[in-house]
Amino acid sequence: MKRYAYYQSCINESMTKEVDRSIDLWQKDLGIEMVKMHESACCGGSNLDFVSPKHFALVNARNIALAEKQGLDLVVSCNTCLMTIRTAKKKLDESVELKREVNEILGKEGLEYRGTSQVRHLLWVLIDDVGLDTIRKKVKTPLSKLRIAPFYGCHILRPSSVLGKDDPLEPTSLDLLLDALGGKSIPYEHKNRCCGFHTLLVAEEESLNVAAEALREAMEAKADCIVTPCPLCHTVLDGYQAKALRQSGLRGSIPVFHLSEVVGLALGYSERQLGIRRHIVTV
Amino acid sequence: MLQVCTDFRLSMKPFDIVIVGGGGAGLYAAMEAMKTNPGLNVAVISKIYPNRSHTSAAQGGANAALANKAKDDTVEMHIFDTIKGSDYLADQDAVEVLCSEAPKIIRELDNMGTPWSRLDDKTIAQRPFGGAGRPRCCYCADKTGHTILQTLYEQCLRKGVFFFNEYFAIDLSVEGSRSRGLIAMNIKTGKIEAFPAKTVIFATGGYSKMYWNRSSNAAGNTGDGQAIAYRAGIPLKDMEFVQFHPTGLRKSGLLVTEGARGEGGYLVNALGERFMARYAPEKMELGPRDLVSRSLETEILEGRGLDSPAGKYLLLDLRHLGADIIKSRLPQIREMCMYFEGVDPIDEPVPVRPTAHYSMGGIDTDNYGRTIMEGVYAAGECGCVSVHGANRLGGNSLLDILVFGRIAGRAAAEESGKFNPSAIPESEVTRIEHDLRGFMQPKGHYERYGALREELGQTLGLNVGIFREASKIRKGIEDIESLTERFSHVRVFDTGDIYNTNLLQALELKNMLDLAATVAAGALAREESRGSHTRNDFPVRDDKKWHKHTIYTYEEGHPRIGFKPVTMGRYELQERTY
Amino acid sequence: MSDTTIQHHVESRDVTFRVHRFNPQVDSKPYFDDYTIKLEKGITVLRALNYIKEHVDSTVTFRAFCQAGICGSCAMRINGISKLACTTQVWDELDRSRETGIIRIEPLRNLPLIKDLVVEMDPLVGKMKKHSNWVDSRMPEDEWGKKEFLISEKEFLTYDKATDCILCASCVSECTILRAHQEYVSPAVLLKSYRMNVDSRDGIHDQRLAGLVKDHGVWDCTHCYRCQETCVKHIPIMDAIHGIREDAIERRGTKDTSGARHAEAFMDDIAKKGKLVEATLPIRTNGIAWTVKNLLPMAFKMVLKRRTPPPPPLVKASKGIDALRKEFREMTGHVTKDHQKKSGE
Repeated sequence: MKRYAYYQSCINESMTKEVDRSIDLWQKDLGIEMVKMHESACCGGSNLDFVSPKHFALVNARNIALAEKQGLDLVVSCNTCLMTIRTAKKKLDESVELKREVNEILGKEGLEYRGTSQVRHLLWVLIDDVGLDTIRKKVKTPLSKLRIAPFYGCHILRPSSVLGKDDPLEPTSLDLLLDALGGKSIPYEHKNRCCGFHTLLVAEEESLNVAAEALREAMEAKADCIVTPCPLCHTVLDGYQAKALRQSGLRGSIPVFHLSEVVGLALGYSERQLGIRRHIVTV
Repeated sequence: MLQVCTDFRLSMKPFDIVIVGGGGAGLYAAMEAMKTNPGLNVAVISKIYPNRSHTSAAQGGANAALANKAKDDTVEMHIFDTIKGSDYLADQDAVEVLCSEAPKIIRELDNMGTPWSRLDDKTIAQRPFGGAGRPRCCYCADKTGHTILQTLYEQCLRKGVFFFNEYFAIDLSVEGSRSRGLIAMNIKTGKIEAFPAKTVIFATGGYSKMYWNRSSNAAGNTGDGQAIAYRAGIPLKDMEFVQFHPTGLRKSGLLVTEGARGEGGYLVNALGERFMARYAPEKMELGPRDLVSRSLETEILEGRGLDSPAGKYLLLDLRHLGADIIKSRLPQIREMCMYFEGVDPIDEPVPVRPTAHYSMGGIDTDNYGRTIMEGVYAAGECGCVSVHGANRLGGNSLLDILVFGRIAGRAAAEESGKFNPSAIPESEVTRIEHDLRGFMQPKGHYERYGALREELGQTLGLNVGIFREASKIRKGIEDIESLTERFSHVRVFDTGDIYNTNLLQALELKNMLDLAATVAAGALAREESRGSHTRNDFPVRDDKKWHKHTIYTYEEGHPRIGFKPVTMGRYELQERTY
Repeated sequence: MSDTTIQHHVESRDVTFRVHRFNPQVDSKPYFDDYTIKLEKGITVLRALNYIKEHVDSTVTFRAFCQAGICGSCAMRINGISKLACTTQVWDELDRSRETGIIRIEPLRNLPLIKDLVVEMDPLVGKMKKHSNWVDSRMPEDEWGKKEFLISEKEFLTYDKATDCILCASCVSECTILRAHQEYVSPAVLLKSYRMNVDSRDGIHDQRLAGLVKDHGVWDCTHCYRCQETCVKHIPIMDAIHGIREDAIERRGTKDTSGARHAEAFMDDIAKKGKLVEATLPIRTNGIAWTVKNLLPMAFKMVLKRRTPPPPPLVKASKGIDALRKEFREMTGHVTKDHQKKSGE
């Protein structure tokens, strides 16, 4: 059983609770254990860094230090948390001064940022640690009938200088995983593009135009559903789907799954168990 | 179908200044004109967006005796270096203007926001450059021209200069000894439009692209301004002087800046020798360009070059500079070597060979950019004052376009009130429209401009290149004449109006052919070796017969050569050694 | 550069260029033409296009000038991604293409199409003008040329990368928000604005900044990082955008834009609870009226699905919140000191 420090994203604790719930269900099946971090704090959601770069470094140095204290890699299941914490890590690793300043403060709590724990996405753990072969073997109910539009979201890909797992413009990891689960991932242009979440509250019209285009492309590609590794993308593509389509004069609807849900489905869990009925768009 | 433009501009009041070309010289002229008199109506007409101009390719920097780096540098030393570099063909009064304005212009650029690399004392950084006695080349990493161009474009936008982007200049409308203005094609619509103007400044850059694939220049450096002026009766000067840059990339001819040698790069032959020791024992790699180019060519001719399917070449070795210097000081160069040559200069020496790079000749002007035609000016590489004479020093070309662009802009601004041109007759516009349509008519036997362009470059490179001699030049002249004849059969297949690049490239070829005739004629006439012009059959400089400028006038389709004395000053003729 | 002499290499193959064509004078809508030519390894896409124009079809229309990656003319979408044709190797694109042996060539997006691969650049220039993308010097013009500004290499480095921009418009073409709204300021213009705003020689910083925080300005960016990822000069454009935001909050506070209030809310919540209080985020970003109008219609369904975020009193603070609060405050002390030091300089 490989253990990880599991960082609980704010959104998964409030709006998309089904993500952590589904991971809880199947993690042991795949031989991994996500040890929840209760003391961690909000990463700043790609916002704190320009409000106060130093607080941003502090909070995330602390988050990583908490994982390091347990000697575990930090794993997230939200793209933006991934990008944000990795950005902080990069800044800390590149600046001795910043690291020293932050550690001076963290020291009082008995914490130290050393840079030893990696910050990884659940998707990466599934592919690199669990392995596609193992996953393939464990699948009980393959997603064989589904044409799936993979939607990566931005912050698992870009900036590549911070993320670097996939080609930022031609990603493959999610496609590979979906194929291992027995589904058929279909090509469509928007799969590596943006969902619009980060302007949702700032420029809603633009944001929903972005979402509508992704939805339209997936539907035109005759996908049965969309799968995303990011709860923020899910919130827009699912929660705001009706509004986005209406604004762009489009009809129809398409279910949107979390990555953790389709893993659960393939491993034999029911929609009810996985919390899929909490979605806004009826599956 | 092209449309004659019954344009509003035919009847409208003339522009005060129409500037043809939006590179460093044109934009400085525009900005200076607006600064001189904000009430003026200034238009820049450019066949590309001005920020794309070839000024952006100048990597190394601009010379100015700021004495930031070498405290004992002086304007006088800069003047002497320039005159000596020119092989004493530069006009000394013009060089004095160039060098004494230099510190001012560099500071002015700084004052308006040009990013310069900095020294520890926060002053503008300077580095050594070929042919200069002191490190006086001001730079911004290896993107100096690019940053200057962007700054000037930004400032022109700020000052409300009127931009006609993607307009191709075709003709000057002339009445007797006066200009009425310019006729140009709006590339986006295909319309021929008239630009009545009190003054016209030509600033279209150089003509070295006539060497085609043996040139480091942008595809559009086809000498449009020189060709238009020449055909309109304005004389050209010193056209035979074409500078070959020593270090073009082997495959593409693209340039590796002299800054690479300024930072300490070595030139090495197949035997691993730093062969410059043979030719310029003191200055080594930092000798003047004509000398270094000849040295490379000699090494290759004498069998000490390396061989490859893309031709013989030598090596520019930067490895000893180390990754840090290469990355921080020469990042663009490194990228170019990787994109176009597949070589990372951190790990491998760069394959290089000489490439046609700069035209010293151009439209004959006085020190204010005036031509012999009333209201017509020229500046920058397009013009010839002359400050570069037979060979330009590295770091003096950016300086030239800035200083003389500015001077021409001010002169035109101050003098435009004197001119009262008559209206451009609609018949001129119609005639051009008719001529252009002629290209698109189906012909029995037709030629493709691409093949002619290629052949022009080839014959120039072989017969009017670095080493020249009478028999070869004559062959070149014959070839150019035959190509000109064949050009009359060129067919343009794109018969549409909108963005017809097929037509544009044919017109550019015509400009290159007309100018190539002057280059070759001058090369044959000048029976001596001076600066970039090297005659195997006349290997020494002959001051008695040839210390003079060549002047070209257009007569019945051919150049007639005349001469003009060189303005001397403080510096006597001396042998030029490095 | 030669278009017909193609470099001598061993490896060669037939390559099909599927080129976007549209001539508004004759075509009612765009279409694609396939040109299959034999090429040798080492050739760039631009040279291949030149070859097609000269030997196969002279009417294919595209911009190209320096052919050396510095003028920015030949940006186009190659296999779906905006980049310079002159610095792109055909063989690299063959590896990337979805259909074996076929390279798709399309015009840039988000700018009006003129013909084939040529798009109108004027809208971009218009935005540069709108946002004063120039240094408006603190020095009066009649003083120019007399003395240098003294600038540290450190300051130079703050805008060094940004001045690499060649306005090729690849970032404009790739921008998510511009595609959603054409009035959006554009990444290139934000980059240039940032470059001007950190230049100590400039005198209109505040005015420029005030323009950038308006509608369709810097706060509309959705942090998708496509601009940065496709920048042909590898400029960290998002750093510039974040830089403008940081500057806006520091100088203007958070009152004038929803984006700034949104960002500030993160800071507040982390300081208080260690986590985000999502329920009140819309109100804090856009006010009550906006929230009622925009979100109430959705709230009903959200409640049914138990998807509404918990109200603030129910958001449990992080377990280590006391320690975090203390550390946060301490860092605030550091930041205050930094600011004092900066303004003292």
